[in-house]
Amino acid sequence: MLADLRQALGLFHVIVYMAVGDLRSRYRRSVLGPLWITLGTAAGTVGLGLVWSELLKMDRAVFVPSLTAGLIMWQLLSGCITEATTTYWRQSALLRNVSGVPLSMPPIQMVLKHLINFLHNVPVFIVVALYFHVRVTPATALVLPCMMLLALNLFWITLLLSMLGARFRDLEYVIGAAMPVLMFLSPVFYRPDYLPFNQAFVWANPFSHFIELVRYPLLGAAPPDFVVLVNILMCVAGGAFTLLLFNAKHDRIAYWL
Amino acid sequence: MARLAFHDVTVQYPVYDVRAKSLRSQLVRMSTGGRIEQESSGVQIVTAVRNASFSFADGDCVGLTGHNGAGKSTLLRAMAGVYRPAHGNVAREGRVSTMFELGAGMDSELTGYENVVRMSLLLGLTQAQIRTRMADIESFTQLGTFLRLPVRTYSAGMTTRLMFAVATSTAPDILLVDEIFSAGDAEFQARAAERMHALIASVRIFVFASHDMLTLKRYCNRFLRLEHGVVSEVSASDL
Repeated sequence: MLADLRQALGLFHVIVYMAVGDLRSRYRRSVLGPLWITLGTAAGTVGLGLVWSELLKMDRAVFVPSLTAGLIMWQLLSGCITEATTTYWRQSALLRNVSGVPLSMPPIQMVLKHLINFLHNVPVFIVVALYFHVRVTPATALVLPCMMLLALNLFWITLLLSMLGARFRDLEYVIGAAMPVLMFLSPVFYRPDYLPFNQAFVWANPFSHFIELVRYPLLGAAPPDFVVLVNILMCVAGGAFTLLLFNAKHDRIAYWL
Repeated sequence: MARLAFHDVTVQYPVYDVRAKSLRSQLVRMSTGGRIEQESSGVQIVTAVRNASFSFADGDCVGLTGHNGAGKSTLLRAMAGVYRPAHGNVAREGRVSTMFELGAGMDSELTGYENVVRMSLLLGLTQAQIRTRMADIESFTQLGTFLRLPVRTYSAGMTTRLMFAVATSTAPDILLVDEIFSAGDAEFQARAAERMHALIASVRIFVFASHDMLTLKRYCNRFLRLEHGVVSEVSASDL
Protein backbone atom coordinates (compact mmCIF):
# COMPACT_ATOMS: atom_id res chain seq x y z
CA MET A 1 0.00 0.00 0.00
CA LEU A 2 2.77 2.39 0.90
CA ALA A 3 4.60 0.91 -2.07
CA ASP A 4 1.65 1.98 -4.20
CA LEU A 5 1.92 5.55 -2.86
CA ARG A 6 5.66 5.61 -3.37
CA GLN A 7 5.22 4.44 -6.95
CA ALA A 8 2.62 7.16 -7.54
CA LEU A 9 4.97 9.82 -6.17
CA GLY A 10 7.67 8.48 -8.46
CA LEU A 11 5.27 9.16 -11.33
CA PHE A 12 4.58 12.69 -10.12
CA HIS A 13 5.69 14.27 -13.40
CA VAL A 14 3.16 12.09 -15.22
CA ILE A 15 0.43 13.14 -12.80
CA VAL A 16 1.23 16.81 -13.33
CA TYR A 17 1.13 16.35 -17.10
CA MET A 18 -2.21 14.55 -16.87
CA ALA A 19 -3.77 17.12 -14.52
CA VAL A 20 -2.70 20.03 -16.72
CA GLY A 21 -3.94 18.14 -19.78
CA ASP A 22 -7.33 17.59 -18.14
CA LEU A 23 -7.70 21.32 -17.58
CA ARG A 24 -6.44 22.22 -21.02
CA SER A 25 -8.88 19.86 -22.67
CA ARG A 26 -11.80 21.20 -20.67
CA TYR A 27 -11.24 24.77 -21.80
CA ARG A 28 -9.76 23.99 -25.22
CA ARG A 29 -12.72 25.27 -27.18
CA SER A 30 -13.21 28.49 -25.23
CA VAL A 31 -11.62 31.87 -25.91
CA LEU A 32 -10.45 32.62 -22.39
CA GLY A 33 -9.50 29.04 -21.52
CA PRO A 34 -9.03 28.35 -17.81
CA LEU A 35 -9.40 32.12 -17.21
CA TRP A 36 -13.13 31.36 -17.22
CA ILE A 37 -12.62 29.97 -13.73
CA THR A 38 -11.12 33.28 -12.64
CA LEU A 39 -13.83 35.28 -14.33
CA GLY A 40 -16.61 33.21 -12.77
CA THR A 41 -15.20 33.69 -9.31
CA ALA A 42 -14.68 37.41 -9.90
CA ALA A 43 -18.30 37.83 -11.01
CA GLY A 44 -19.52 35.83 -8.01
CA THR A 45 -17.45 37.92 -5.63
CA VAL A 46 -18.70 41.24 -6.98
CA GLY A 47 -22.34 40.18 -7.07
CA LEU A 48 -22.46 38.39 -3.74
CA GLY A 49 -20.24 41.02 -2.09
CA LEU A 50 -22.58 43.87 -3.04
CA VAL A 51 -25.78 42.09 -2.01
CA TRP A 52 -24.67 40.24 1.09
CA SER A 53 -22.72 43.11 2.62
CA GLU A 54 -25.98 45.13 2.52
CA LEU A 55 -28.04 42.18 3.71
CA LEU A 56 -25.77 41.42 6.64
CA LYS A 57 -25.18 45.16 7.25
CA MET A 58 -21.46 44.60 7.23
CA ASP A 59 -18.57 46.89 6.31
CA ARG A 60 -17.56 45.94 2.77
CA ALA A 61 -13.85 46.28 3.54
CA VAL A 62 -14.25 43.49 6.09
CA PHE A 63 -16.92 41.41 4.43
CA VAL A 64 -15.83 41.22 0.78
CA PRO A 65 -12.26 39.91 1.37
CA SER A 66 -13.58 37.31 3.78
CA LEU A 67 -16.31 36.32 1.32
CA THR A 68 -13.80 36.00 -1.53
CA ALA A 69 -11.53 33.81 0.58
CA GLY A 70 -14.53 31.69 1.56
CA LEU A 71 -15.69 31.30 -2.05
CA ILE A 72 -12.33 30.23 -3.47
CA MET A 73 -11.83 27.79 -0.59
CA TRP A 74 -15.29 26.35 -1.11
CA GLN A 75 -14.66 25.86 -4.83
CA LEU A 76 -11.56 23.87 -4.00
CA LEU A 77 -13.26 21.72 -1.37
CA SER A 78 -16.50 21.06 -3.23
CA GLY A 79 -14.71 20.51 -6.54
CA CYS A 80 -12.51 17.78 -5.05
CA ILE A 81 -15.25 16.12 -3.05
CA THR A 82 -17.93 16.14 -5.73
CA GLU A 83 -15.63 14.74 -8.39
CA ALA A 84 -13.89 12.28 -6.07
CA THR A 85 -16.67 9.69 -6.17
CA THR A 86 -16.19 9.15 -9.90
CA THR A 87 -12.37 9.19 -9.95
CA TYR A 88 -11.87 5.48 -10.41
CA TRP A 89 -14.48 4.71 -12.95
CA ARG A 90 -13.60 7.71 -15.04
CA GLN A 91 -10.11 6.21 -15.25
CA SER A 92 -11.34 2.64 -15.55
CA ALA A 93 -10.02 2.21 -19.11
CA LEU A 94 -6.57 2.95 -17.76
CA LEU A 95 -6.76 0.92 -14.56
CA ARG A 96 -8.23 -2.16 -16.28
CA ASN A 97 -5.96 -2.24 -19.27
CA VAL A 98 -2.54 -0.93 -18.38
CA SER A 99 -0.09 -2.82 -16.23
CA GLY A 100 1.61 -1.06 -13.33
CA VAL A 101 -0.56 2.02 -12.78
CA PRO A 102 -0.60 2.73 -9.03
CA LEU A 103 -4.14 3.01 -7.66
CA SER A 104 -3.30 6.10 -5.63
CA MET A 105 -2.47 7.97 -8.83
CA PRO A 106 -5.98 9.02 -9.98
CA PRO A 107 -6.89 10.60 -6.60
CA ILE A 108 -3.61 12.54 -6.52
CA GLN A 109 -4.28 13.71 -10.07
CA MET A 110 -7.76 14.86 -9.02
CA VAL A 111 -6.50 16.88 -6.04
CA LEU A 112 -3.75 18.39 -8.15
CA LYS A 113 -6.21 19.43 -10.85
CA HIS A 114 -8.32 21.25 -8.28
CA LEU A 115 -5.28 22.89 -6.72
CA ILE A 116 -4.37 24.23 -10.17
CA ASN A 117 -7.95 25.44 -10.47
CA PHE A 118 -7.52 27.13 -7.12
CA LEU A 119 -4.40 28.92 -8.36
CA HIS A 120 -6.55 30.44 -11.11
CA ASN A 121 -8.80 31.89 -8.42
CA VAL A 122 -6.02 33.37 -6.30
CA PRO A 123 -5.67 36.52 -8.49
CA VAL A 124 -9.29 37.42 -7.69
CA PHE A 125 -8.47 37.37 -4.00
CA ILE A 126 -5.30 39.40 -4.54
CA VAL A 127 -7.21 42.11 -6.43
CA VAL A 128 -9.86 42.22 -3.69
CA ALA A 129 -7.18 42.32 -0.99
CA LEU A 130 -5.39 45.21 -2.68
CA TYR A 131 -8.61 47.12 -3.27
CA PHE A 132 -9.77 46.83 0.34
CA HIS A 133 -6.25 47.20 1.82
CA VAL A 134 -6.19 43.83 3.57
CA ARG A 135 -3.26 43.80 6.00
CA VAL A 136 -0.22 41.79 4.96
CA THR A 137 1.48 40.53 8.11
CA PRO A 138 4.06 37.83 8.90
CA ALA A 139 1.08 35.53 9.46
CA THR A 140 0.20 35.84 5.75
CA ALA A 141 3.15 33.56 5.01
CA LEU A 142 1.30 30.82 6.91
CA VAL A 143 -0.91 30.41 3.82
CA LEU A 144 1.60 27.98 2.33
CA PRO A 145 1.95 25.49 5.22
CA CYS A 146 -1.79 25.73 5.85
CA MET A 147 -2.53 24.94 2.19
CA MET A 148 -0.20 21.97 2.41
CA LEU A 149 -2.01 20.62 5.45
CA LEU A 150 -5.31 21.13 3.66
CA ALA A 151 -3.98 19.36 0.54
CA LEU A 152 -3.07 16.33 2.69
CA ASN A 153 -6.56 16.31 4.14
CA LEU A 154 -8.05 16.60 0.66
CA PHE A 155 -5.92 13.70 -0.50
CA TRP A 156 -7.25 11.21 2.01
CA ILE A 157 -10.81 12.42 1.56
CA THR A 158 -10.50 12.04 -2.21
CA LEU A 159 -8.91 8.60 -1.93
CA LEU A 160 -11.62 7.46 0.49
CA LEU A 161 -14.46 8.78 -1.67
CA SER A 162 -12.84 7.34 -4.81
CA MET A 163 -12.86 3.87 -3.26
CA LEU A 164 -16.37 4.18 -1.85
CA GLY A 165 -17.61 5.70 -5.10
CA ALA A 166 -16.15 2.81 -7.12
CA ARG A 167 -17.95 0.29 -4.93
CA PHE A 168 -21.21 2.18 -4.31
CA ARG A 169 -22.43 3.93 -7.42
CA ASP A 170 -25.11 6.01 -5.71
CA LEU A 171 -22.58 7.82 -3.51
CA GLU A 172 -22.11 10.30 -6.35
CA TYR A 173 -25.73 11.42 -6.01
CA VAL A 174 -25.63 11.46 -2.21
CA ILE A 175 -22.66 13.81 -2.29
CA GLY A 176 -24.15 15.85 -5.13
CA ALA A 177 -27.29 16.41 -3.06
CA ALA A 178 -25.41 17.15 0.16
CA MET A 179 -22.89 19.69 -1.10
CA PRO A 180 -25.23 22.66 -1.77
CA VAL A 181 -26.71 22.28 1.72
CA LEU A 182 -23.25 22.02 3.24
CA MET A 183 -22.28 25.23 1.49
CA PHE A 184 -24.82 27.17 3.55
CA LEU A 185 -24.01 25.29 6.75
CA SER A 186 -20.31 26.05 6.29
CA PRO A 187 -18.77 29.46 6.89
CA VAL A 188 -18.43 30.39 3.20
CA PHE A 189 -20.39 33.63 3.18
CA TYR A 190 -19.90 34.37 6.86
CA ARG A 191 -17.28 33.83 9.57
CA PRO A 192 -18.07 31.54 12.50
CA ASP A 193 -17.92 34.51 14.91
CA TYR A 194 -20.73 36.32 13.04
CA LEU A 195 -23.22 33.82 14.36
CA PRO A 196 -25.50 35.19 17.02
CA PHE A 197 -25.87 31.74 18.60
CA ASN A 198 -23.51 29.05 19.80
CA GLN A 199 -20.42 28.82 17.59
CA ALA A 200 -19.85 25.21 18.61
CA PHE A 201 -22.50 24.33 16.03
CA VAL A 202 -20.33 25.65 13.20
CA TRP A 203 -17.14 24.13 14.54
CA ALA A 204 -18.76 20.68 14.56
CA ASN A 205 -18.61 20.89 10.75
CA PRO A 206 -15.20 19.78 9.44
CA PHE A 207 -15.56 22.14 6.48
CA SER A 208 -15.40 25.09 8.87
CA HIS A 209 -11.97 23.95 9.95
CA PHE A 210 -10.76 23.45 6.37
CA ILE A 211 -11.99 26.88 5.28
CA GLU A 212 -10.86 28.84 8.32
CA LEU A 213 -7.43 27.20 8.33
CA VAL A 214 -6.55 29.03 5.13
CA ARG A 215 -8.89 32.02 5.45
CA TYR A 216 -7.21 33.34 8.60
CA PRO A 217 -3.73 33.66 7.02
CA LEU A 218 -5.24 34.97 3.76
CA LEU A 219 -6.69 37.83 5.81
CA GLY A 220 -3.40 38.36 7.60
CA ALA A 221 -3.97 36.56 10.89
CA ALA A 222 -2.62 33.30 12.27
CA PRO A 223 -5.31 30.60 12.48
CA PRO A 224 -6.43 29.79 16.05
CA ASP A 225 -4.59 26.87 17.63
CA PHE A 226 -7.65 24.65 17.84
CA VAL A 227 -8.33 25.00 14.10
CA VAL A 228 -4.79 23.88 13.30
CA LEU A 229 -5.03 21.10 15.84
CA VAL A 230 -8.33 19.78 14.49
CA ASN A 231 -6.89 19.84 10.97
CA ILE A 232 -3.84 17.88 12.06
CA LEU A 233 -6.00 15.40 13.97
CA MET A 234 -8.29 14.91 10.96
CA CYS A 235 -5.26 14.43 8.76
CA VAL A 236 -3.76 11.79 11.06
CA ALA A 237 -6.98 9.96 11.93
CA GLY A 238 -8.61 10.21 8.50
CA GLY A 239 -5.35 9.45 6.75
CA ALA A 240 -4.71 6.38 8.89
CA PHE A 241 -8.25 5.08 8.43
CA THR A 242 -8.16 5.63 4.67
CA LEU A 243 -4.78 3.97 4.29
CA LEU A 244 -5.97 0.97 6.31
CA LEU A 245 -9.05 0.68 4.10
CA PHE A 246 -6.95 1.19 0.97
CA ASN A 247 -4.61 -1.53 2.16
CA ALA A 248 -7.48 -3.92 2.83
CA LYS A 249 -9.36 -3.25 -0.41
CA HIS A 250 -6.46 -2.41 -2.73
CA ASP A 251 -6.66 -5.74 -4.56
CA ARG A 252 -10.43 -5.52 -5.04
CA ILE A 253 -10.63 -2.06 -6.62
CA ALA A 254 -9.88 -3.26 -10.16
CA TYR A 255 -12.77 -5.73 -9.92
CA TRP A 256 -15.21 -2.97 -8.96
CA LEU A 257 -14.64 -1.01 -12.15
CA MET B 1 15.80 -12.28 -18.35
CA ALA B 2 12.03 -12.21 -18.20
CA ARG B 3 9.82 -14.62 -16.34
CA LEU B 4 6.13 -15.02 -15.75
CA ALA B 5 5.08 -17.77 -13.38
CA PHE B 6 1.69 -18.67 -11.93
CA HIS B 7 1.64 -20.93 -8.92
CA ASP B 8 -1.76 -22.40 -8.05
CA VAL B 9 -3.51 -19.15 -8.97
CA THR B 10 -7.25 -18.73 -8.57
CA VAL B 11 -8.88 -15.54 -9.79
CA GLN B 12 -12.34 -14.73 -8.54
CA TYR B 13 -14.29 -11.62 -9.11
CA PRO B 14 -17.44 -10.35 -7.51
CA VAL B 15 -20.37 -9.43 -9.70
CA TYR B 16 -22.63 -6.89 -8.04
CA ASP B 17 -26.20 -6.38 -9.03
CA VAL B 18 -27.88 -3.00 -8.70
CA ARG B 19 -28.78 -3.64 -5.08
CA ALA B 20 -25.26 -4.46 -4.00
CA LYS B 21 -23.95 -1.37 -5.76
CA SER B 22 -26.32 0.80 -3.79
CA LEU B 23 -25.14 2.34 -0.58
CA ARG B 24 -28.72 2.65 0.62
CA SER B 25 -29.45 -1.08 0.44
CA GLN B 26 -26.14 -1.80 2.17
CA LEU B 27 -27.11 0.51 5.01
CA VAL B 28 -30.56 -1.05 5.24
CA ARG B 29 -28.90 -4.46 5.27
CA MET B 30 -26.57 -3.45 8.09
CA SER B 31 -29.35 -2.03 10.17
CA THR B 32 -31.80 -4.89 9.67
CA GLY B 33 -29.64 -7.95 9.05
CA GLY B 34 -31.18 -11.41 9.19
CA ARG B 35 -33.92 -12.13 6.74
CA ILE B 36 -33.49 -9.13 4.50
CA GLU B 37 -29.79 -9.79 4.19
CA GLN B 38 -30.60 -12.87 2.12
CA GLU B 39 -32.65 -10.88 -0.32
CA SER B 40 -30.51 -7.82 -0.66
CA SER B 41 -26.89 -8.99 -0.70
CA GLY B 42 -26.84 -9.55 -4.49
CA VAL B 43 -23.14 -10.36 -4.79
CA GLN B 44 -22.11 -13.34 -6.88
CA ILE B 45 -18.61 -14.65 -6.98
CA VAL B 46 -17.38 -15.83 -10.36
CA THR B 47 -14.33 -18.03 -10.43
CA ALA B 48 -12.69 -17.09 -13.70
CA VAL B 49 -9.43 -18.99 -13.31
CA ARG B 50 -9.06 -22.04 -11.10
CA ASN B 51 -5.77 -23.33 -9.65
CA ALA B 52 -3.65 -22.35 -12.64
CA SER B 53 0.04 -23.18 -12.54
CA PHE B 54 2.43 -22.52 -15.41
CA SER B 55 5.67 -20.77 -16.09
CA PHE B 56 6.90 -18.80 -19.10
CA ALA B 57 10.52 -17.93 -19.78
CA ASP B 58 12.50 -16.09 -22.47
CA GLY B 59 11.51 -17.10 -25.97
CA ASP B 60 8.04 -18.34 -25.09
CA CYS B 61 5.30 -17.18 -27.40
CA VAL B 62 2.12 -18.40 -25.81
CA GLY B 63 -1.28 -18.66 -27.45
CA LEU B 64 -4.39 -18.64 -25.26
CA THR B 65 -7.53 -20.22 -26.63
CA GLY B 66 -10.96 -20.86 -25.24
CA HIS B 67 -14.60 -20.05 -25.82
CA ASN B 68 -16.10 -16.66 -25.17
CA GLY B 69 -16.18 -16.19 -21.42
CA ALA B 70 -13.68 -18.98 -20.79
CA GLY B 71 -11.57 -16.52 -18.83
CA LYS B 72 -8.93 -15.48 -21.37
CA SER B 73 -9.15 -11.76 -20.70
CA THR B 74 -9.28 -12.26 -16.95
CA LEU B 75 -6.22 -14.51 -17.11
CA LEU B 76 -4.38 -11.87 -19.16
CA ARG B 77 -5.32 -9.17 -16.65
CA ALA B 78 -4.05 -11.38 -13.84
CA MET B 79 -0.78 -11.79 -15.77
CA ALA B 80 -0.56 -8.00 -16.11
CA GLY B 81 -1.16 -7.51 -12.39
CA VAL B 82 -4.40 -5.59 -12.93
CA TYR B 83 -6.39 -8.35 -11.21
CA ARG B 84 -4.91 -9.77 -8.04
CA PRO B 85 -5.53 -13.48 -7.47
CA ALA B 86 -7.84 -14.62 -4.66
CA HIS B 87 -5.12 -17.10 -3.76
CA GLY B 88 -1.94 -18.37 -5.31
CA ASN B 89 1.07 -16.51 -6.38
CA VAL B 90 2.07 -14.62 -9.53
CA ALA B 91 5.75 -13.95 -10.16
CA ARG B 92 6.68 -11.38 -12.79
CA GLU B 93 10.14 -10.34 -13.86
CA GLY B 94 10.57 -7.80 -16.62
CA ARG B 95 8.66 -4.82 -17.93
CA VAL B 96 5.11 -5.71 -18.89
CA SER B 97 3.17 -4.06 -21.67
CA THR B 98 -0.46 -4.74 -22.46
CA MET B 99 -2.65 -4.43 -25.53
CA PHE B 100 -6.18 -5.13 -24.29
CA GLU B 101 -8.51 -2.25 -24.98
CA LEU B 102 -6.47 0.44 -26.67
CA GLY B 103 -6.47 4.14 -25.99
CA ALA B 104 -6.27 4.28 -22.20
CA GLY B 105 -5.84 7.89 -21.15
CA MET B 106 -6.89 9.32 -24.48
CA ASP B 107 -8.71 12.63 -24.35
CA SER B 108 -10.55 13.51 -27.54
CA GLU B 109 -10.34 17.28 -26.95
CA LEU B 110 -6.54 17.21 -27.03
CA THR B 111 -4.45 17.06 -30.19
CA GLY B 112 -2.88 13.92 -31.61
CA TYR B 113 0.56 14.96 -30.39
CA GLU B 114 -0.67 15.68 -26.86
CA ASN B 115 -2.42 12.33 -26.76
CA VAL B 116 0.69 10.50 -27.90
CA VAL B 117 2.57 12.00 -24.96
CA ARG B 118 -0.28 11.28 -22.51
CA MET B 119 -0.76 7.67 -23.50
CA SER B 120 2.97 7.00 -23.69
CA LEU B 121 3.60 8.48 -20.24
CA LEU B 122 0.89 6.22 -18.85
CA LEU B 123 2.52 3.25 -20.53
CA GLY B 124 5.66 4.09 -18.55
CA LEU B 125 7.82 5.90 -21.11
CA THR B 126 9.80 9.01 -20.22
CA GLN B 127 9.52 12.34 -22.03
CA ALA B 128 12.93 11.74 -23.63
CA GLN B 129 11.92 8.29 -24.88
CA ILE B 130 8.71 9.72 -26.27
CA ARG B 131 10.62 12.41 -28.17
CA THR B 132 12.87 9.83 -29.82
CA ARG B 133 9.86 7.70 -30.79
CA MET B 134 7.74 10.54 -32.10
CA ALA B 135 9.18 10.41 -35.62
CA ASP B 136 8.42 6.71 -35.83
CA ILE B 137 4.85 7.27 -34.63
CA GLU B 138 4.41 10.13 -37.11
CA SER B 139 5.52 8.05 -40.04
CA PHE B 140 3.58 4.97 -39.00
CA THR B 141 0.25 6.71 -38.47
CA GLN B 142 0.64 8.78 -41.66
CA LEU B 143 -1.67 11.31 -40.06
CA GLY B 144 0.58 14.22 -41.04
CA THR B 145 -0.82 17.58 -39.99
CA PHE B 146 -3.88 15.89 -38.47
CA LEU B 147 -1.67 15.19 -35.45
CA ARG B 148 -1.99 18.89 -34.64
CA LEU B 149 -5.80 18.68 -34.56
CA PRO B 150 -7.95 17.43 -31.69
CA VAL B 151 -8.55 13.68 -31.77
CA ARG B 152 -12.32 14.25 -31.81
CA THR B 153 -11.98 15.34 -35.45
CA TYR B 154 -10.48 11.95 -36.42
CA SER B 155 -12.36 9.13 -38.07
CA ALA B 156 -12.53 5.80 -36.22
CA GLY B 157 -9.79 4.40 -38.43
CA MET B 158 -7.50 7.35 -37.78
CA THR B 159 -8.02 7.04 -34.03
CA THR B 160 -7.17 3.34 -34.22
CA ARG B 161 -3.95 4.14 -36.10
CA LEU B 162 -2.92 6.55 -33.39
CA MET B 163 -3.75 4.20 -30.52
CA PHE B 164 -2.09 1.27 -32.24
CA ALA B 165 1.06 3.27 -33.00
CA VAL B 166 1.42 4.32 -29.36
CA ALA B 167 0.65 0.87 -27.96
CA THR B 168 3.28 -0.70 -30.22
CA SER B 169 5.96 1.91 -29.56
CA THR B 170 6.82 0.58 -26.10
CA ALA B 171 9.72 -1.83 -25.76
CA PRO B 172 8.58 -4.31 -23.10
CA ASP B 173 10.08 -7.61 -21.97
CA ILE B 174 6.66 -9.21 -21.65
CA LEU B 175 3.88 -8.40 -24.10
CA LEU B 176 0.28 -9.39 -23.40
CA VAL B 177 -2.19 -9.07 -26.26
CA ASP B 178 -5.94 -9.68 -26.25
CA GLU B 179 -7.19 -10.38 -29.82
CA ILE B 180 -5.56 -8.61 -32.69
CA PHE B 181 -8.03 -6.08 -33.89
CA SER B 182 -8.62 -5.48 -37.52
CA ALA B 183 -9.44 -1.87 -38.20
CA GLY B 184 -8.62 0.60 -40.90
CA ASP B 185 -8.13 -0.04 -44.58
CA ALA B 186 -6.32 -3.00 -46.13
CA GLU B 187 -3.10 -1.06 -46.61
CA PHE B 188 -3.02 -0.08 -42.94
CA GLN B 189 -3.76 -3.64 -41.85
CA ALA B 190 -0.76 -4.89 -43.75
CA ARG B 191 1.49 -2.32 -42.12
CA ALA B 192 -0.04 -3.02 -38.70
CA ALA B 193 0.67 -6.75 -39.08
CA GLU B 194 4.26 -5.96 -40.04
CA ARG B 195 4.71 -3.67 -37.02
CA MET B 196 3.15 -6.24 -34.72
CA HIS B 197 5.49 -8.86 -36.11
CA ALA B 198 8.53 -6.72 -35.36
CA LEU B 199 7.28 -6.01 -31.84
CA ILE B 200 6.65 -9.69 -31.11
CA ALA B 201 10.12 -10.54 -32.37
CA SER B 202 11.65 -7.98 -30.00
CA VAL B 203 9.99 -9.16 -26.76
CA ARG B 204 11.11 -11.99 -24.54
CA ILE B 205 7.70 -13.37 -23.61
CA PHE B 206 4.62 -12.95 -25.75
CA VAL B 207 1.15 -14.01 -24.65
CA PHE B 208 -1.69 -13.75 -27.09
CA ALA B 209 -5.37 -14.57 -26.64
CA SER B 210 -7.35 -15.24 -29.80
CA HIS B 211 -9.93 -17.39 -31.52
CA ASP B 212 -8.05 -17.29 -34.77
CA MET B 213 -6.15 -20.59 -34.96
CA LEU B 214 -4.11 -19.60 -38.01
CA THR B 215 -2.73 -16.47 -36.38
CA LEU B 216 -2.09 -18.35 -33.14
CA LYS B 217 -0.09 -21.05 -34.92
CA ARG B 218 1.82 -18.45 -36.88
CA TYR B 219 3.07 -16.51 -33.86
CA CYS B 220 3.11 -18.97 -30.96
CA ASN B 221 5.19 -21.93 -29.90
CA ARG B 222 3.22 -22.91 -26.77
CA PHE B 223 -0.53 -23.12 -26.36
CA LEU B 224 -2.79 -22.94 -23.34
CA ARG B 225 -6.45 -23.83 -23.47
CA LEU B 226 -8.94 -22.41 -21.00
CA GLU B 227 -12.09 -24.33 -20.27
CA HIS B 228 -14.42 -23.12 -17.53
CA GLY B 229 -11.48 -21.46 -15.83
CA VAL B 230 -9.22 -24.50 -15.95
CA VAL B 231 -5.93 -23.97 -17.76
CA SER B 232 -4.30 -26.85 -19.62
CA GLU B 233 -1.32 -26.86 -21.95
CA VAL B 234 -1.95 -28.40 -25.36
CA SER B 235 0.20 -29.06 -28.40
CA ALA B 236 -0.20 -27.24 -31.69
CA SER B 237 -1.82 -30.24 -33.34
CA ASP B 238 -4.56 -30.40 -30.68
CA LEU B 239 -5.80 -26.89 -31.32
